[in-house]
Amino acid sequence: MNVVASLRSFGIASLFCWRVLLKVLNGRVLKFIGETVRQAGILITGSAIIVLGLVFIFGLQCGIEGAYGAKSVGATSAAGAITALCDLREIIPYAFGYMMAAKVGTGFVAEIGSMRISDEIDALEVMGLDSIVYLGATRLLGTWLVLPFLYMAAVGLGYIASYLAVVVQLGQVSPGGYLQLFWEFQNPPDFLFAGIKVMVTATFIVLVCIYYGYHVTGGPVGVGRATAQSMVANILGIHLIGMVGTQIFWGGNAHAPIGG
Amino acid sequence: MDAVLRLAYEPVRGFIETVGAMVLLARRTMFASVTPPFNYGPELVDQFLFALRLGWFPMILASLAFTYGPAGIEVGDFLKLVGAMDRLGSLFVIIVMRELAPLICAIVIAGVAGTAMTADLGARKIREELDALMVLGVDPVKSLVVPRFLSLMLLTPLFTIYALLFGTLGGVLVTVSNGAQVGPFFSDFFAQATTVEFQAMFVKAVIYGGVIAIVCCYMGLTASGGAEGVGRAVNRAVVLAFLAIGSVDYVFTQTVLATHPALNTPR
Repeated sequence: MNVVASLRSFGIASLFCWRVLLKVLNGRVLKFIGETVRQAGILITGSAIIVLGLVFIFGLQCGIEGAYGAKSVGATSAAGAITALCDLREIIPYAFGYMMAAKVGTGFVAEIGSMRISDEIDALEVMGLDSIVYLGATRLLGTWLVLPFLYMAAVGLGYIASYLAVVVQLGQVSPGGYLQLFWEFQNPPDFLFAGIKVMVTATFIVLVCIYYGYHVTGGPVGVGRATAQSMVANILGIHLIGMVGTQIFWGGNAHAPIGG
Repeated sequence: MDAVLRLAYEPVRGFIETVGAMVLLARRTMFASVTPPFNYGPELVDQFLFALRLGWFPMILASLAFTYGPAGIEVGDFLKLVGAMDRLGSLFVIIVMRELAPLICAIVIAGVAGTAMTADLGARKIREELDALMVLGVDPVKSLVVPRFLSLMLLTPLFTIYALLFGTLGGVLVTVSNGAQVGPFFSDFFAQATTVEFQAMFVKAVIYGGVIAIVCCYMGLTASGGAEGVGRAVNRAVVLAFLAIGSVDYVFTQTVLATHPALNTPR
C-alpha cells in the first residue's frame, strides 16, 4: 500500500518534471527570456561562490587523501595520477551536486513554495500566465545557461586545490613530477563525461526542487518541510546518477595511459 | 573604494557573527547537557528514532553508490591495469574507513535529518511556540537542542558502522565483477586496517554529528521572516552544514595522518 502510494507520487512527479522539460525544449520559455536571464544572474551572483567553495574544499581533501594514499602503497610520486582520477571523475561532480542541491535547490523550493502558499502562483494563472513556464522552465533554462561555465570553473578550482594540498602544503612531490602524471591521467573525453554527469545531476536537482516547491501545502511550516524533503530526494538522485554515470563512462575502461 | 570594501566586508562580518553565535550555542548546549536535571531522555529517543527512520535508506544507497563508483570502479580499473587487483583491499581501508564512511554519513545526516530538524524548529519558532516555552519557564536549549545534539552524535557513529559495512560490500562487488578472488581482498583489508584508523573514524563521526546538530538547530531557532522564513532557514542550514563538514574533514583527517605516521606505511 505504501509502495503503491510512493510509486504513484513518483509518477506524478515524473510527469510534472517532463512538462517542465518539454516547455524548455519546445521553446515556450523563450517568451520569458528576461526572467530566464535574471534567474541565471541570481545563480551566478548568489550561489556560484558557495558551490565553488565546496568543490575547493573537496579538492583539497582529494589532494590530501591522494598524497597519503600514494605514500601508503609506496609510490609517493604517483599522487598526481590519483588526484587526476579523483578530482575530475568523482569528487567534482559529487561536490557540485551536493552544493547545487543545498544552495540552489533548497532555495528554489523555499522561493516557489512561499509563492504557492501566498497564492501568488494562482494569481499568475488568473492573469493568464503559464506558471510552469514562468516559474519552472525559466529556472531550468537559466541553470542550463550557467552550468557549463560553472562546471569549467569548478574543475579548474578543484585542480588548483589539489595542487595546493599535494605540492605546496605537503611538499611530497615536485611541481613538475606532480603535473606530468596529473595531465597524463586525464583526457578530453573524461572532461566531457564528467560534464555530462554534472549536467544530468543539476538538471535532476532543479526539476525535483521545482516540483517540491510547486506542490507545497500547509502554510509556512509546509515550506520548511518540503525544503527538507527535497534534500532527501536529491541525495538519493545524486548518488544514483553518480554511480550509473561512472559505470557507463568508465566501467571496465580506465582511460589511463598505462597497461595494455 | 570604500563602498567596494564595505560590500565585501558585510557578508564576511555576517558569516563570522553567525559562526560565533553557533559556537555560543554549542557551549550552552554542552553545559546544559551535563547539568541536572536530565529530563531530556524521551525527546532524545524520539529524535534518534526519527533521524534513523529518515536516514537509513539514503545512507545505505549513498554508501553503496559512493564506494562502488569512485572507490570501486576507478580504483579497481586502475589496479587491473597494473595487475594488482588484490591490493584493492588495502586501498579500501584508506578510502572507505578513513574518508568515505564518515563523510557519507555526515552528508546524508545533514541533508536528511538536519534539514528536517531545522524545518521542525523553524516552524515552532515562527509559530511562537519557542516563546511560549520560555514563558512557561522551559529552556528551549535544554529541552529541544540538547536531545537533538546528543541524538545526532549517537546516530552518526552508528551510521558510520553501517556505511563501512555497505562500503566494504561495494568493494566486494567490484572485486567479484572484475573476476578476482574475495579472499585476498579481505586479507589485505584486515592487514591494512589499524585500531587508530577505526578510532579516528568514530571520533570524526561524532564531531560531524555535533557540528551538524548545532548548525541545523541554530538556523531553526533563528528562523524569521514569515512564509519564506523556514524554507530560507533550511537552505542556509544545509549550505553551512556542508561547508562545515568539508572544513572539519580537511582539518581532522590531516591532523590524524600527520600525527600517526603508522597509518602511512604499506602492509
